[in-house]
Amino acid sequence: MQKEFSIIGKPVALVDAAQKTTGLGKYTDDLSLPGMLVGKILHSPYPHARIRKIDLTRARAVQGVVAIVTGQDAPTSYGILPIGHDEHALVVDKVRYVGDNIACVAATTEAAAENALELIDVEYELLPAWFDPEDSMKAESNLIHENKPHNIEKEYHHVFGDPERGLAEADYVAEARYMANEVTHAAMEPHSTLASFEFDPQTGKQGRLTVWSSTQVPYYLQHKLSLVLDMPMSQIRVIKPLVGGGFGGKSEVIPLEIIAAVAARAAKTPVKITYTREEVFWAHRGRPRTIIDLKTGVKNDGRITAVRARVVQDGGGYCSYGPVTILYSGALLGALYDIPNVQYDGYRVLTNKPACGAMRGHGTVNVRFAFESQLDEICAHLKLDAAAVRRKNLLKPPCVTVNGLRVLSYGLPECIEKVANASQWPVRRGRLGRGRGIGMACSHYVSGAANSIIKSDMPHSTVNIKIDRDGGVVVYTGASEIGQGSDTMTAQIVAEVLGCSMKRVKVIAADTDLTPIDLGSYSSRVTLMSGNAAQRAAEDVRKKIEQAAAKKLNCSQEELVFRGDLIWRRGAELENTGEQLRAQGRIEGQILRESVLQERKEQDARDHLSFEEAVVAAIDFSGTLTGTGSYAPPADARGGKFKGAGVGPSPAYSYSAQVAEVSVDEETGQVTVHKIWAAHDCGRALNPVAVEGQVVGSVWMGLGQALQEEMIWKDGLLMNPGLLEYRSPSSVESPEIETFIVESVDPEGPFGAKEAGEGSLAATIPAIANAIYDAVGIRLREAPFTPERVLAALRAQKSQKKVNMTEGVDPERPVSFREHGGSLCFRGKGPTRHPLDPAVREQSKAEQPSPVGGDD
Amino acid sequence: MALSEFQLFRPKTIQSAVALLAQHKGDIQVLAGGTDLLPSMRQKLFAPKYVLDIRGVEELKRIRVLAGGGLEIGALVTLSQIEDSEFIRRNYPVLRKAAMTIASPILRNMGTIGGNICLDTRCLWYNQSYAWRTSCGFCIKKDGSLCHVAPGGSKCWAVFSGDTPPALLCLGAEIEIAGPGGTRRIALADLYTGLGDTRLKIAKDEMLTRVFIRESMSGYRGAYQKLRVRGSIDYPLAGVAVIVKSSGRHAPVQDAKVAITAVNPSPMLVVGADHALIGRAVDEHIATVVGELAARTAKPLTTSALTPEYRREMIKVFAKRAVLEAAAG
Amino acid sequence: MKKELIELRVNGRIHELAAEPNKLLLDVLRHDLGLTGSKRGCDDSSCGACTVLIDGIPMLSCTLLAASCQGQEITTVEGVAEHGGLAAIQQAYGRWGGAQCGYCTPGFMMTVKYLLANNPDPSEEEIRNALSGNLCRCTGYEQMYQAIRDAIEAERKGLAASSR
Repeated sequence: MQKEFSIIGKPVALVDAAQKTTGLGKYTDDLSLPGMLVGKILHSPYPHARIRKIDLTRARAVQGVVAIVTGQDAPTSYGILPIGHDEHALVVDKVRYVGDNIACVAATTEAAAENALELIDVEYELLPAWFDPEDSMKAESNLIHENKPHNIEKEYHHVFGDPERGLAEADYVAEARYMANEVTHAAMEPHSTLASFEFDPQTGKQGRLTVWSSTQVPYYLQHKLSLVLDMPMSQIRVIKPLVGGGFGGKSEVIPLEIIAAVAARAAKTPVKITYTREEVFWAHRGRPRTIIDLKTGVKNDGRITAVRARVVQDGGGYCSYGPVTILYSGALLGALYDIPNVQYDGYRVLTNKPACGAMRGHGTVNVRFAFESQLDEICAHLKLDAAAVRRKNLLKPPCVTVNGLRVLSYGLPECIEKVANASQWPVRRGRLGRGRGIGMACSHYVSGAANSIIKSDMPHSTVNIKIDRDGGVVVYTGASEIGQGSDTMTAQIVAEVLGCSMKRVKVIAADTDLTPIDLGSYSSRVTLMSGNAAQRAAEDVRKKIEQAAAKKLNCSQEELVFRGDLIWRRGAELENTGEQLRAQGRIEGQILRESVLQERKEQDARDHLSFEEAVVAAIDFSGTLTGTGSYAPPADARGGKFKGAGVGPSPAYSYSAQVAEVSVDEETGQVTVHKIWAAHDCGRALNPVAVEGQVVGSVWMGLGQALQEEMIWKDGLLMNPGLLEYRSPSSVESPEIETFIVESVDPEGPFGAKEAGEGSLAATIPAIANAIYDAVGIRLREAPFTPERVLAALRAQKSQKKVNMTEGVDPERPVSFREHGGSLCFRGKGPTRHPLDPAVREQSKAEQPSPVGGDD
Repeated sequence: MALSEFQLFRPKTIQSAVALLAQHKGDIQVLAGGTDLLPSMRQKLFAPKYVLDIRGVEELKRIRVLAGGGLEIGALVTLSQIEDSEFIRRNYPVLRKAAMTIASPILRNMGTIGGNICLDTRCLWYNQSYAWRTSCGFCIKKDGSLCHVAPGGSKCWAVFSGDTPPALLCLGAEIEIAGPGGTRRIALADLYTGLGDTRLKIAKDEMLTRVFIRESMSGYRGAYQKLRVRGSIDYPLAGVAVIVKSSGRHAPVQDAKVAITAVNPSPMLVVGADHALIGRAVDEHIATVVGELAARTAKPLTTSALTPEYRREMIKVFAKRAVLEAAAG
Repeated sequence: MKKELIELRVNGRIHELAAEPNKLLLDVLRHDLGLTGSKRGCDDSSCGACTVLIDGIPMLSCTLLAASCQGQEITTVEGVAEHGGLAAIQQAYGRWGGAQCGYCTPGFMMTVKYLLANNPDPSEEEIRNALSGNLCRCTGYEQMYQAIRDAIEAERKGLAASSR
């Protein structure tokens, strides 16, 4: 490997940046086809009900309606996990949340489709619904899925080491319940899918299907479409246009993606469905509400002896990635530090709410909030320095953690060092005066899952390269660019290996007809896995160029250096500057081949070739140059053998340490974050601008979850399904975020690179919680730290007159999730609720609420 | 979320606008900045047969200093224009301060003072899509018969969420309403009914055309404090406007007014706040007393994101702070 | 509903088209004129992805009736590139990571274009305030500030060069 890089490690504009800044790039909703119809979906108004009858007569009569499809048109169940095929594109028997999908109208205009939706007559049989996860776990009847007793989707019980003894040996044991409310991705682009069938020239019937979709996982989509539509995968082409952000919300098959295809099949013409923002919230797949009962034992010097956690996740109505989420929560809990004894009991629970799934920092974020908060509490109790305690519990890599995760590179110590220095931690912690404080927390994340969802030993990523006589390098990768810079990373790696300019490289990505299979953009796998595949493919094709070039330059292949669009005999490149040589060596396509040969004859004993010359020489031997490379995680990175051991292991882990500085307004409870110092170990920063962007973006998203983002529920009804009421931060309350890139150079990563896009998020929430504690001495154990929660805790601290500002949930000692305070019991038109619904039961016993205050 | 079908009128004069209102009385909606009406129409909260787009009525786009003193603001003056008006900044600072907090810069370029005054009341149970409202059985304000935030009563508690009206109430603003019989002028305070559903005392064939502020109200120091979760875009969750007249920071207050918003179905003047302030130098104690008075006027319910108890507490705090800020100049 | 003939001036060109009176400007731009740069991100006029300039002032095209915009000069993101090349701000957003997924970027382009046209040397706070009507979910806004400062610098150098 070359010591000095010419492309990687340098800031590069994303290869698709101009498409984005000019508005010329196409996202799915920007596409249209001749004869295309608009698809609109009818959603359930009930959280839990059996469907008795659907009558489409009135709806079909609406002018402009071409087709209406229901569950009967695609009765095969599916799900992203092989163990969780519990979804239907459109429900067949019952609805499981407000927003569940019942029917789809394809019509010539949006208005016609929407009018028809209102004329679909559905007869329901109401069922009691489950909203609180701990209630739901006690369910004996009216189960959400008949095959899931007690509405438990999955539970896992893991014991590593001897937690019992570890806790007994501890000098101090901290114990508390932490809760994190539900958040969602809120990517700026609402999901959109366009589906179109071709006619088969042989049979004259509908043949191949092409689907353009806003997806992070084109290959999984192709797979599930094949299953539900009962078509061979080879007859389905999935194309991913530009995607306007995913964060996990597009990392599985979302109902509209299959519904659009089913509707197009019925309408016999292309159908596009684009979600309204409200539908995006119903499709959800975000981070579940989580209850974490956590116990940590430590010695007096801060050395952790054991951790015991019971985690309950409110997973919503379907399986989705649920079992993976609950496993990540356990697997990553004990693997950031060296913890000898860990017990983990995780419950993924079904409730009658939209399904939760994967969201940035999948599974780790909420437990990390709990753990890093508790560590801070321990430090406060034992009067230890929070940075020192973290240093005391570091892993000693290379090592395997107690739960079987292989760690080769570990930049955490340096991350802690960087942020402690930059924030002047030792002199400022606890010394900023009342109202202002700083807090520290750490986190980590996988660089892709070492085991794929569908168990196999096949490669997780494959990349192909084609170089033809024009000297252009075309890279085919299945990796999904979703704004994180995947295409740019691929181009950089290939250009680095081939010693050519970025301009020469064109990336064709995420089109199942053209590009080799890649599992997709999730769990931060792309840089490490697709990056490795790209590097191997480029090395493969370079070998072919080397053979030809070595002959031409009369040297061995080992003597060649690829750099600056030239191929050098080693040593010679140091004596010449690239520019003039490039000009001299440039050729334009195959028509110049003769003159190149002529020129070569004239120049004897050359010490270099231009890239084109070398390529043409290589083509002389083998025809168009192709190379291929693939990556599968090594066996020893794939984890242990126990049940559930498959989730958590990764070829490499990223690390992050952060310090947040906040001030707290003690009259209003409003928290202002002034600055966050964030250090992230990404192995090697292939593109520092992109790495910084990912780290800042993660920290910022964590900030949203820490302070203001929260899905507010009332008996299964989402009260804030829009960007006006679901408040992701605007530019005015977003603090300065100073990033430090730490490069631990992992042996498994391409050029040493690991993940950068998710790992930093989890540290932000506890860093802010710990800073709030430093500022005003209150310990918030329920996220987000909204001003009402902060103020409630401050009032309790000062034993002032109690005002119930948090619907009865103590933010320092939360017991159960709060519900929005309104009423769902009503008179008049519209749907009723089942008499056993919590909404109805509550209403019958409660007295009428009156306005707060008044003339007192 | 397509808009329902309607016929669009684009009159150029008040006269023709009013004539159209009279002609299609009850079936017509006035469209100015559109930032309130159009999202609501997408949610099928309104499905008028006719829409009266008055953006072409040039004479309503002016801020005019009147010859006899005082100020006239056309109903179509945008919130950005108010923000940028040097005259308003100097003479009626409370109005500018309130206008500057509204929504976001882009929305202030569109939203008008008339629209902010006539803003529809808001509620988490009301400002939702048709499909969403179906699932809660609708509410008393639209298509249903129950108020979800106070199910016992028959009153709608949707909350008024304009930021400039409390400032204008403090300034004793008057408004001009044009109708078939010509124009009439009323105190802004008399515009609001105090009800969440039928919020304005304005007939179906009338429209708001101008706002007037007396010259005698210039020179008051002012403050506007607003509770919101996000630093931009959000509607207020509680808001307090204060104006104070005195000869100096520590001099006794000659005149004062306090008004609140976003905690009742109407913006409200805080009764007794002027008496508490007049004749005294403002200090922490007086400001706290005003805060208590304001909180008594506030009747928040679970119409909005933060809990009503918290919003009421914030009325106290923000009223206190606004009084101190206004007094400090 | 009957379509009516309307005339829109977009990016300096006049388009005559038939549209229903209830058509939003955003839909006419995207569907009738094929200008898909302006995006729909929300349905409650909160996100700013559809921002266009109306007579030079940023407004939400999802909150305007197309027919209401007759007689006004509409500028969309497709009209930002200058002299056949990227405008300084477009290049800077690329170079400094101001755009990640890019979905909100067209809206930001319009907002920043307006900001720099009216305030060639904005302070950090002025930039933050100016951007506060556009939501971005990827960047945390941080790299946008760098991009804007870089664009200002580039413009200044460009001016200096052309006046020489």
